[in-house]
Amino acid sequence: MTEDKIQNLLQKADETAGRPTPVSINLSTVRHRANHKRIVSVAVPIAAAAVILTTVGLWGLTARNVKTQQQQKIVSLQDQIRQLRARADATFNLVHEALENERKQQRLDELQAQLASIPDPIEEIREQVDKTAFNLVYQADRMYRELNLKRSAIQTYKRVIELFPETQWADVARQRLLEIKNSRYKKDSKGDLLWKPQNVHSSC
Amino acid sequence: MVVMAETIDDECLVRQFNQGDNSAFDGIVKKYSADIAVLANRLLGWPGDVEDVVQDVFLAVFVGLKKFRCECSLKSWLFTITINKCRTYRYKRMLRLKKFSKAADKMPRSHSRAADGQLMDSETFNRARHAVTALPAKYREPIVLRYLQQLSITESSRILGISENLLQVRLNRARKRLRRELAELLEE
Repeated sequence: MTEDKIQNLLQKADETAGRPTPVSINLSTVRHRANHKRIVSVAVPIAAAAVILTTVGLWGLTARNVKTQQQQKIVSLQDQIRQLRARADATFNLVHEALENERKQQRLDELQAQLASIPDPIEEIREQVDKTAFNLVYQADRMYRELNLKRSAIQTYKRVIELFPETQWADVARQRLLEIKNSRYKKDSKGDLLWKPQNVHSSC
Repeated sequence: MVVMAETIDDECLVRQFNQGDNSAFDGIVKKYSADIAVLANRLLGWPGDVEDVVQDVFLAVFVGLKKFRCECSLKSWLFTITINKCRTYRYKRMLRLKKFSKAADKMPRSHSRAADGQLMDSETFNRARHAVTALPAKYREPIVLRYLQQLSITESSRILGISENLLQVRLNRARKRLRRELAELLEE
């Protein structure tokens, strides 16, 4: 296989392919083509720039619209958040107030219970007065009955009547004084008294 | 002697054009348009219609002729421009028809011999042309210049802008490829 064979084959293949179509070119054609190329070389970049600018402009406009919509949405959301916050604050205040009332009520109940547990001082004083009057009457009864100190007993009865006139023991003291007065006339020979001190103890 | 006369004639045309004589350009076109069309036709794979490329070549000539300093022959310069334009044209065509070209490349090639036993029929030549067209540009261009345009090694290397040695190497490799592709035909 030689170089000549290849050359021969290729030349024959070239010949059988035929000649290219004749080209009609002259100076005016070339100039026209040059002008056309110049126009294309200027027009294409300008058109591309215009397309890019238009695209960028549209994109910017769209972006701005999107931005505006987003801003409106943000403002709306902020309003909603503000309203929700106000509502939450009101609810919180209401709950706080209710809790405060409940706490006050509870404190009041406690105080009332505490107050209820405290005894009435007037009643206590009255009891003390009653007790003191009883003691005086009891002492006077003993002085008169057991110690035979009649004068002292009468003074004590009178003191009870004077100091505690409202009590029942004042009535008892009056009755004793009356009995003592009566006993001066109705005293039997053995000297027994009509009044019995056991009655006093039983009445207490 | 003929070559010398041609060179002198070309220099005259160039000088006339540079002096403002537009008819000189028409003279150049008339003289070389056919050769350029043939070369473009071969380099582009024998498409037949190479008017666009030839017009582009002469447009480049029109623009660049004032810079031409006659250091080489006008024909070599024109062939160099033609080769460059063909490269650009093929590249653009490849980009434009990439998918189509892929599909076309995938099509099965017929390797069957002619039924009548004739050694070099049209199918054979088609295969030969296809083999040349399928070569890479760096191998196809030396083959076209050397074997089809029948230019000398020196002139071909000058047109391609490479050394003679490199041209020989490329020719050798191109031949190997063609041998591999066309072995069946070349054995006959």
